[in-house]
Amino acid sequence: MAERSQQLALAEGLARQGQVQPAVEACYQALRLDESEALTHCLLADLMLTGDFYDEAISSAARAIEMDPSCSPAYLALGLAYDRRGGMWDQSILVWHELAEVEPDLVTAHVQLGEAFSAAAFDDEAIEAWRRALELDPAEARAMYNLAVAALKKEGMATALPGFRKAGELDPSQDDLFFSLAGICDDGNPAPDPAEVAPERQARLDAAGALAFEEDFFSAAELIRLILDENPEDPEALGLVAYLYLKQEAVNEAMACALRALSISTRTPTAVYCLGVAFSKRPGLSRNATRVFAALAKAVPKQPMPHVLYAESLLGLQRYAHAQQAYRTAIALDPTCVRARFGLAAVLMTEGRFAEAQWEIRRAAYYDTRRQGLFWRLYDVYAEGRA
Amino acid sequence: MPTRKGSKDRRVQRASKPATSTPKPKPAPAKRSEGPVAAEAAPAQPGKAPRRNPMFPIGVNYYPLDAETQGWDDWYSGDANADFERLAEARMSLVRVFVSWKVLEPQVGQYDEDAIERLQDVIDAARTHKLQVIVCFFCDDRLAEMLDVPWGKKRDPRTDSYLIQREVALIQKVVNRFRAETAIFAWDLANEAFCSGFSAAEELESWIETMREAVREVDPERPVIVSIDPETLFRHTGVDPRDAIDTCEFAVSHATAAYRVFAAEGPITSGPSTYLDSFLLRSAARDLPVLLDDVGVFSLDFSPAEEAVFVRNVLYSGLMNRAAGIVARRFRDLDTERREPYFRDPFEVLVGLADTEGEPKPALSELESFARVAARIDLRRYGLAQERTAVLIPAERYEPLPSLAGLYDPRACLQAFVQAKQAHIPVAVAREIDEFDRYSVLIVPSALSLADETWERAKAFVQAGGSLLCSYGGGDTHPAIREVFGIEFLGDGGGREELSCRVAQVDVLGSLASFDARIDIPNFALLGHGGATVVATDAKGSPLLTMNQFGQGRAVYIAAPLERAISQGDPWAAPPAVTEMIRTVYAAVASASGCGAPVECDHPEVELALFAGEQDDILVLLNHGIEKITATLAFDRTVASISDVRGGKPTAVAGVTFGVPLDANGAAALRLSYG
Amino acid sequence: MADDAAAQLYQAFVSQDPAGAIAVVEASRHSGLEQAQLFDQLFAPAMSLLGGAWASGAIDEVTFTQAAVVAEQITSFVTPPAASKDTGVTVLIGSMHRDYHSIGKDVIGAALKEAGHRVVDLGVDVRPAEFLERVEETGSRLLIVAAEMTATARSVVRVREMLTSAGHEDVVMLVTGGPFAADVSLAKQVGANGVVRGVESSLKIVQKIVRDRLGGGT
Repeated sequence: MAERSQQLALAEGLARQGQVQPAVEACYQALRLDESEALTHCLLADLMLTGDFYDEAISSAARAIEMDPSCSPAYLALGLAYDRRGGMWDQSILVWHELAEVEPDLVTAHVQLGEAFSAAAFDDEAIEAWRRALELDPAEARAMYNLAVAALKKEGMATALPGFRKAGELDPSQDDLFFSLAGICDDGNPAPDPAEVAPERQARLDAAGALAFEEDFFSAAELIRLILDENPEDPEALGLVAYLYLKQEAVNEAMACALRALSISTRTPTAVYCLGVAFSKRPGLSRNATRVFAALAKAVPKQPMPHVLYAESLLGLQRYAHAQQAYRTAIALDPTCVRARFGLAAVLMTEGRFAEAQWEIRRAAYYDTRRQGLFWRLYDVYAEGRA
Repeated sequence: MPTRKGSKDRRVQRASKPATSTPKPKPAPAKRSEGPVAAEAAPAQPGKAPRRNPMFPIGVNYYPLDAETQGWDDWYSGDANADFERLAEARMSLVRVFVSWKVLEPQVGQYDEDAIERLQDVIDAARTHKLQVIVCFFCDDRLAEMLDVPWGKKRDPRTDSYLIQREVALIQKVVNRFRAETAIFAWDLANEAFCSGFSAAEELESWIETMREAVREVDPERPVIVSIDPETLFRHTGVDPRDAIDTCEFAVSHATAAYRVFAAEGPITSGPSTYLDSFLLRSAARDLPVLLDDVGVFSLDFSPAEEAVFVRNVLYSGLMNRAAGIVARRFRDLDTERREPYFRDPFEVLVGLADTEGEPKPALSELESFARVAARIDLRRYGLAQERTAVLIPAERYEPLPSLAGLYDPRACLQAFVQAKQAHIPVAVAREIDEFDRYSVLIVPSALSLADETWERAKAFVQAGGSLLCSYGGGDTHPAIREVFGIEFLGDGGGREELSCRVAQVDVLGSLASFDARIDIPNFALLGHGGATVVATDAKGSPLLTMNQFGQGRAVYIAAPLERAISQGDPWAAPPAVTEMIRTVYAAVASASGCGAPVECDHPEVELALFAGEQDDILVLLNHGIEKITATLAFDRTVASISDVRGGKPTAVAGVTFGVPLDANGAAALRLSYG
Repeated sequence: MADDAAAQLYQAFVSQDPAGAIAVVEASRHSGLEQAQLFDQLFAPAMSLLGGAWASGAIDEVTFTQAAVVAEQITSFVTPPAASKDTGVTVLIGSMHRDYHSIGKDVIGAALKEAGHRVVDLGVDVRPAEFLERVEETGSRLLIVAAEMTATARSVVRVREMLTSAGHEDVVMLVTGGPFAADVSLAKQVGANGVVRGVESSLKIVQKIVRDRLGGGT
C-alpha cells in the first residue's frame, strides 16, 4: 500500500513538473502495483492529452472512470480528448454532461458541454449551456466568446462584435497588456501601503501601478493625484489614470485623460491603449479605434494583444481579410491566445470556412483549460476527497 | 507500377531485412493477356491525347450499399452501369468491389448462385466501360455486415480454424468462377477494418499466407494484395504487418481518420496535414510499388470545396511521390440517417466523389482533371530521379507504452519530411533496419535512441561519404555520437520555452540567420567541443548546430529535438524562424551531398517533382498553401520554353528562371524544353 | 477657428451646459467642418482640454465627472453613425429549395444590412417560384442564392430559368456556398452573374454591381 502510494506520488510529482516520459513510466510502474487505481489512470490520461495522443488519453480516462465513476479529473481529460479528436460529439456531450453532474459548480464543464452541443449542431442547447456557465460565473470569458460566435451565426458580425469586446474585457489578457505596456509585472509581492510610499514621482507611479494591478483603484488614483499635483503634464500618470477610469466604466474621463496624455507626448503606449479601448466602446468610432490600435500594434509588434485589438476594430469596419491577418499575427506570437482564436474562428465563418473555425475553437478550449490549471485543481480536490 | 503483370517497378531491392525475419519466396510475375488497361499502355497515336495513363491507373472503391436504410441483402442490388459510365467518363480505369461472405454463403457450404451472378453483373458492367476490377474478399464497411455469416456463431473469422477453412473455400469458389475474367485486375484479401481485428502479427501473417495460397491454387498469376497500410494498422492495433505485406505483389497506403488526427491534426487544406498522405506513401514503399488507396475526406464535416481541394492535393502528392496508382475512397456519398451528432469511426467510408443522388461533386471534377494531366505523363519516358535523402524512422517507433517514442517518432518524422519537402529535396522515408547505401543523406529527427548496431552502420555510412543529420532527442546519447559528430555530450539541459540561435559561422550550413523564437523545446543537449565546427549557438554560447567532417562524409548535429518540438507544439504556428533554420540546414546538407533540390523555388509551400525525360522534362508543382502565389523557379540550365502538359502552345522562356502562377492549393504540370 | 471652438466646447462641458455644447457643434458644422471631422477636430481637442484641466487641478473631480456626462450627451453629434447610410439597394437573399444551411446566408445578409443595403432574407428552403415572387414584389434587381450541397447548387439554374421566363433577364443573380467556391464553372452553368465567397467578397461584389450595373440603386 505504502509502496503503491509512493509510486503514484512519484508519477504525480513528475507529471506536475512536465516530465512526461518519466511520469508515464512511473504511472505504468504504479499500475503494475495496483491496476485499479483510478488516479493513476487519470494521471496517465492527462499525460497523454498533454502529448496530443487522444486515443491513448481516451482509453486511460475511460479506465479511470470505470474504476471510479466519480473521478472528475478523468471526465475532464476524457471530454477534452474527445473534443480534440473531433467527430465524436455524442460521446463528448455525454462526458461533459456527466462532469457537470459530478461537479455542478464547475463552470468549464458547462462551457465545454455547450461547445460539444454546438459542434453537433444543437445550437439552442449550446446557448443554454453557455448561459448556465455565465450564471455560475458572470466573468467566464469563453462562454461569452461562444455566445458571440453563436450570435454571429444567426445575426451577423454587428451583433457578435460587442460580445467579443465584452468577453475580451473579462479575459485577463487585455489587462495584462496594459500592465506590460506600463512596465508593471507581478513580482509576487503585495502592493505597498499608499501611506508608506516615498514622496517621489517614480515610487508613486510604481505603487499606483501595483495598486491598480490589485484592483485597488481608489488608492491608485490618490497616488496619481499627488504626482499630477506636482506635474500636471506627466503623460504616464495620465495614461495610468485613464486606465483606472476605464476599469470603472468612466469612458469619457478615460478618453479625456488619454487624449491629454497624448497631447503632451504621443509616445505614451498606455494612453494609446486606453484611447483605443475607449474608442472601441463607441460603435461609431471603429475607424478611430482602428487607427489607434494599428499604431499600438506597430509600437509593440511582439505583443499579441494589440494585434487582437486591431483585428477587432477591423471587424467593426467589415475589413475581414485584414482582421484575419492581424489575428494570425497574434496567434503566431502567442498560440495560447484564446481571444485571437475565437476572433479568427469568427472571421473564418464569414468566409464559409466552418470546419477550420471549429478547429480554432477547439484549440482555444485546450489552451484555456491548460491556462486555468483545471486538471490539477480537480485532481487535488478529488484526491483530497478520497483521502 | 501495379499492372496485372505484377510489379515492373522494383527499382531497388531491399538489401537486408530484420535478422529475425525469414525471406519469403516472391510469386512469379503474372503472365496474362493484355486487358483494357494494359491495352492502353500502347504508345498514344500521334496527335491523339491518351485518356488514361496505363502506368498510373486511377480508380475508386465501389461499395455495395449507398444508404443506411438498405439492408445487408441489398448488396450490389442496383445496376452499376450508369455509375461505371460516369467513372469511365472521368478517365478512371479501376474499381474495387467488395465480396459479401454473408450474401454469398448464406448456409455452410451452400453458395447463393444469384448473388454470384450479381457480382458477375458488376464485373460485366466494369468490362463494358473498360474498367478493371480489384475484388476484395473480407472487408468490413460498418454497414453491409459482409463478414457476419449467421452460421459463424460469432467466432472470430481471423483465427477460428473452421471459419478459416470456410474462407479458403469462399475464395476458391469466387476465384475459380472468375479466373478467366479479363476485367479482374487483382485479388484483395482483406481491408484494414477487417485486419484491425488481428491481435498478433503472426496470426495476421499466417491468415494472409493461407488465403494467398488459396488464391494461388486456383489463379497462379494475378496479383494478390491486402489493403492495409503498415503504419496506420500498427498505430491502431500494435500489430506490425510489414512482413505480411511483403508477401504481396504490391503494397497499399492510406491515411485513416484516426491516424490523421494522431499525426497531423488541424486544417486539411494547408500545413502538415497536406503532406501526410505522401509521407505514408513513402513510408509504405519498401520494395513494392504502392497503390495510394482511400483517397478522399473522411468525415462529413467538410464543405464540397474543401473536399475538392483535399482530393486535388492528395492526387498530385501521390503522383509526385511515386504512387503506382490511386483509388479514391468511395464513389457515392452514403445516404445516412438524418441524425446528429455524427459519430466518426477510424475507417470512415461515408464520403464519396458523388452525392447521394449520384450527382458528381467538385471532388470528382478534380479527379477527372487530374487524370487528364496524369494521362499526359508517359511514365515510360519520364521518371523521377532516385531519392538520395531519407528521413529515418527509428526502430523505437515500434516500442509499446510506456515508451513514448512510438507516439513521438511518427510525428517528428512527418515534420522532418515536411521540412525536407519544403526545402524541395527529393526525399524518401527509410526504416532503421534498411540498408543505407542507396542514400546520400540520412535525417534522424529527434530520436530518443537508435540501436547499437545502427550506430555502427551509420558510422560506416558517414565514413564512406554519406551525410548524417541528427537532432538530439533527449536523455543520454550513444557514445558513437562523440566520434561521428565530434562533440562531447555533457548532459541534458532540460526544457526551454524559447529557442535562440546565434550564427557563429556564416554560410557553412546555408544562409542561416540569428533569431529568438518562442517554442517549447523539451530538451537541449549541453555540448562540449570535440572537434566539430560550431555553426550556431544559443544566446549564451551553448552549441546549437555543429558540423563535423568524419571520414569522407559529414555529420550535422542539432542540439534540440526541433522536429518533435514543432510537432508537439502547434505545427501550424511553428515559428517561421525555426522551420526556416531546419529547412536551410537540410537543404545545405543535401546540396553539399549532390542531392539537393533539382529546381530552386522561392516558395517553401510549393512541392516540386521533376520527371526527367531524354529530350525534355516534366515538372509538376503543387501549392500546399492557401494563398495564390507566383512561384519563381531557377534552373541550372537554360529553359527554352514551357508548355502545359495537357497541350497548348509553348511559351518561350530562354532563361534559367521564370515564374509559375499557382492558385491557392493549385497544381500545374509543365513540359520543359531546354535550349 | 477649430481651437476656439474646442475651447468653447470645453467651456460648455465644465459649465454643464449641454445646449451650449450642441450649439458649438452646430456652429462648427455651419462653418464647414464635415461630420466625419467633428470628432477629431472638435470633440477630441475639447476632451484633451478637459483632461488637462482636471490634471492641473483647475477643475475638481466632481466637475470633471459632470463635464464627462455632458460630453456623453453630445457624443452622438460628433461621432459618425454606427450604422451605414442607406444605399437604397434592395438585396434578396435565401437558401435554395431543399437546402437548410443558414449560417453562410445569415452572416452575409447581416453584413450587407450593416453596410446599408436593404436586405430581404427569404430564409432557407426557398422555392424558385418564391424567389421570383419576391423579386416582383420588391422590385429588387439583385438576388443572392445560397446552396451548400452540390445537388441544391445545381438546381439554382431553376431560379434563373424562372426569372428569364418571367422577363426578368436584368436581375443580377449571385450565388454563394461551398459547391460554387469549389467550381466556378458551376456558377456559370446555373446562370449566375457571380460567386460570393464570404462576407467581404459579398460587400465588394454588391458594391461593384450597384455601381456598374444598377446605376446606384434598385
